[in-house]
Amino acid sequence: MPGVYLTTSEFLDDAKSAVKDRGMPSLRMVALPADTYYRSRASQDELKPIATAAFAAIVDDLVRPLTAEEAHPSQVQKQLESANIKVTGKDYQDAYQKVNDLFLDSHWADGLPIVPPTPKLVKAMLAATTRSPQEVIGQVAPKQGTATIEKIAVNSVMAGAKPEYFPVILAAMDGFIDKHYDLTHVQASTGSFTPLVIVSGPLGKELGFNSGIGMLGHGFRANSTVGRALRMSLLNIGQTWPQVNDMALTGRLEAYTFFTFAEDNEKSPWEPYAVSLGYKPEDSTVTVATSGNPVVLGGGAVAPWTGQGVIDQMIARISGGGGFGWFHSQTFVIVLIPDCAVDLASAGYTRKSLQAYMFEKSRLPFEKLSPATVKLTQEAIADGRISPEHAQMFKDNLKPGGRVPIVQSPDDFHIFVAGGSPGYDLLFSYPGPNWAHQTKKVTGATLTKAGR
Amino acid sequence: MKKRMNWLLGAALLIAALCSAGAACAQVTLEVMNPRGEIPPPPTIGINPRVPDLAGKKIVLVDNGKFGANNFLDVLAAMLTQKYPTATIVMYPKPAAQTITDMPKWYPTVAQQGDLFIFGVGD
Repeated sequence: MPGVYLTTSEFLDDAKSAVKDRGMPSLRMVALPADTYYRSRASQDELKPIATAAFAAIVDDLVRPLTAEEAHPSQVQKQLESANIKVTGKDYQDAYQKVNDLFLDSHWADGLPIVPPTPKLVKAMLAATTRSPQEVIGQVAPKQGTATIEKIAVNSVMAGAKPEYFPVILAAMDGFIDKHYDLTHVQASTGSFTPLVIVSGPLGKELGFNSGIGMLGHGFRANSTVGRALRMSLLNIGQTWPQVNDMALTGRLEAYTFFTFAEDNEKSPWEPYAVSLGYKPEDSTVTVATSGNPVVLGGGAVAPWTGQGVIDQMIARISGGGGFGWFHSQTFVIVLIPDCAVDLASAGYTRKSLQAYMFEKSRLPFEKLSPATVKLTQEAIADGRISPEHAQMFKDNLKPGGRVPIVQSPDDFHIFVAGGSPGYDLLFSYPGPNWAHQTKKVTGATLTKAGR
Repeated sequence: MKKRMNWLLGAALLIAALCSAGAACAQVTLEVMNPRGEIPPPPTIGINPRVPDLAGKKIVLVDNGKFGANNFLDVLAAMLTQKYPTATIVMYPKPAAQTITDMPKWYPTVAQQGDLFIFGVGD
């Protein structure tokens, strides 16, 4: 079926990149001028001049005979990315600078200087895991680049990570690449989402992650370079670049290191998050989750608060939004400061009972749902997006007097304990389904006591 | 004396040679590894042949659901109807992602709606 794809001038490179990725490089497109289209699109009258200007091109794309290349485009050949690169300078400083110029100018780095990934440094990184350098852990969206352990090691060296961090980086990559995780959305969406990377279990302390004051800030090598290694791996292996195929409109709040920290398992009154999922106390895990910007709650150093008050404010935020009609399958990441968790534990809450409380209190009265939302929920029950084990609960409440859950299960409230004393509590949410959350166990570590 | 001069000359030439080679000796080559993932290229396919004229054709306008796309396609529909009165316009909006389980299965249904399609506006 002949067709034409309409886009805007700001997204033309992105569209061209996407059609190449999908093997249809000659798809015809017409780009509307972004500088007038976006501010006119609410009004048909204002759109008329734009449509008039584009009309001839749209029609032409539908009737102009194909060229031979459009009908039978050449098969794209695989570009090998295996050969090492040699850079010569008049002295070490000059060579170092030239490596950085090459990587930064080629869009092989995040815009900051890198550590040159020499074979010797990469070998040292690889020695931190028992996993084979040639092991393919999957394809990285959006271009489906092949992620091998060795490629991730190269990027980890560039980021300045210590070799002992490497198994944590690999576990996070296992999460990002999992088939149930929508990495394309994180890598490319205009929504500018930022991944969370949270270590739970003994490796957090052993590797020196900051779990206290300033845990999302700069200055702590484990937090900073693990996050940066992941940023660099996703950028280089998935081959993304801003304004080309990473269309995050504002960029990301934690663009260089993501939201990377470890749970404070010593100050937490509850079992580690990993244990709550069924892992053993000696296990360490890495959770990756897609998130919008966090809501900051609690009093910090300047105002009083109670644990119950913080939780109830979170519930008000959660149930007040309603998302885009996805609420039946959202996930939330909740980071409570140790003082808040202790206060809640003193009041009798366990992690499980707190999840159950949030689940119950965030339910929405049926009468508050729009007809469209009711219809969406009914369809989600019918086609299995609301899992059969939870479907009856939704059915029972989709009627007058019913109270419809925000999420499918109390387990969709993922509660971590980290932060300072004093500190702020954080609510991270993602207005999409639960394809945005994965936890993987750290394995194969050779340089640390935990994670082996 | 002559022997001593020869020795001095030889020493001087050796020193000169070493000095001239000095720049090269001080050069440093850094060998670094490629950080990029290899991309298995997908099979390439061409696009479908065009039609000679839009007159009499069934033109499917696919609203991708982005804000304002429906407005643009409505304007376009009016223009197409005016210029090609014998053409038929079919509005066929793409379902919102949260309302459909298997989006890849939906795309082929566009081809069942008419002869041509116009898809927009991304993004």
